[in-house]
Amino acid sequence: MTHEQALDLAAAYVLGALEAADMAAVRDHLATCPESHVEFERLGGVVPYLLEWPDIELVEPPASLGDRIMAAAAADLATRGAGAEPAPQRTIAFPSAPEREARARTRTGRLGWAMRIAAVVAIVALGGWNLLLQNELGAARRFDQAVASVISAAAQPGSQTVVMTPTENNQASGIAAIRPDGSVVLAMHDLPATKGTEVYETWVIVGSAAPVPVGDFKVDANGIATFTTRPTQAPPGAIVAVSREPRPGSTAPVGPIVSTGVGVSPST
Amino acid sequence: MNDGSGRVSGRVASPADDADRAVLLRVADGQLDALQDLYDTYRTMAYSIALRITADAPLAEDVVQDAFLGAWRNAARYVEGKGSVKTWLLSIVHHRAVDAVRRRRPTVELPEREDVPPSSLTLPDIWHEVAGNLDREEIAVALGSLSDVQREAIELAYFGGLTQQEIAARTGTPLGTVKSRIRLGLLAMRRTLVGDDGSDDPGSERSSP
Repeated sequence: MTHEQALDLAAAYVLGALEAADMAAVRDHLATCPESHVEFERLGGVVPYLLEWPDIELVEPPASLGDRIMAAAAADLATRGAGAEPAPQRTIAFPSAPEREARARTRTGRLGWAMRIAAVVAIVALGGWNLLLQNELGAARRFDQAVASVISAAAQPGSQTVVMTPTENNQASGIAAIRPDGSVVLAMHDLPATKGTEVYETWVIVGSAAPVPVGDFKVDANGIATFTTRPTQAPPGAIVAVSREPRPGSTAPVGPIVSTGVGVSPST
Repeated sequence: MNDGSGRVSGRVASPADDADRAVLLRVADGQLDALQDLYDTYRTMAYSIALRITADAPLAEDVVQDAFLGAWRNAARYVEGKGSVKTWLLSIVHHRAVDAVRRRRPTVELPEREDVPPSSLTLPDIWHEVAGNLDREEIAVALGSLSDVQREAIELAYFGGLTQQEIAARTGTPLGTVKSRIRLGLLAMRRTLVGDDGSDDPGSERSSP
């Protein structure tokens, strides 16, 4: 692209109103051309003001959106610990409660495979213990069986394990395995019982892509869920989240996310 | 060229800008409560812009989530002096929203999916003349200096996510005319907002009718 051609596209470029190929060509030109690009600056300097376009109606987003974002960010923090992305590390004097929780998960992510198995066993024991305290032996056995199927799925080559931890103000936790085909085997406890048309939906989130619904389930008063989802694309580091939805068939989480975890493969 | 501190006509960073920068530093540090602060401050503007562009509430929510997660992951890449945190953040929202509506349109050539929003946003690199203090009344006045067709062309480009070719087709206007409407419209706004059009060239003030 010549300098003159780039200048001709300057106004559309600063507004992002070019085809992708032209955007890229102008970008490359700006990065390499030694000539002055004052035209881009004088036009581009105006563009941020457009964000205050007067007829934009100010609308408050639904409260659940903030919960979703915070849950995804917390899960992302845990992923960084698993080595998926280097996190900027500086000392922080007073970590907040959610942050401490996230960091605890980060440490889990750094544990070796054997340690993770030990952690899983501890969680399993804890889950069973709580249930026994509630004198629900049948439920405890169901949960143990669910955990056994998760562990057997996790033991397959190419599987990932997921420690599911509750989001703020929730208790739902458990473990899951993501099988090589991307289906998720879940064992959860302390899920509030579903009422009416309510379901729990399982979501798989990859990178910054939108959550993919992979299957819903109902929970009775004992709070136990054992469930296997549909297969989906779930590379290492995929996030598994469980949300409480008003009815089946949500294509994006509508209800609150109650529990999340990050897939970790034994090799990482 | 601008020196990067980039203030025009005595525009200075407001105390709110400084507070935002402090919050963003903590976001870069991986502090979730800082992200919550940032979200609380800008969720309404972010969602409103996303909704304006997508005209689709669930999609707008996805866009806002995507943008805040992008900010969460890339806060360390924010460069002071190239615009306020507010501008940076809302630009990510804008960029994601336009991306989302273009993806929804099957006929449009899709840009490559870029996972790191700020690096794909080369635009803020040339936006550093604005230090903050975006003001709705000011822009309303500035927009008043535009002709209807200039305003329409800029609006279709910036909020409709249309390319200049698509604007030409949509409005039944030659491409060259669309180009000059956008350019002259932006320059007219600049004169009102900044006090000059950044040019020695006094000509070409009129758009084609």
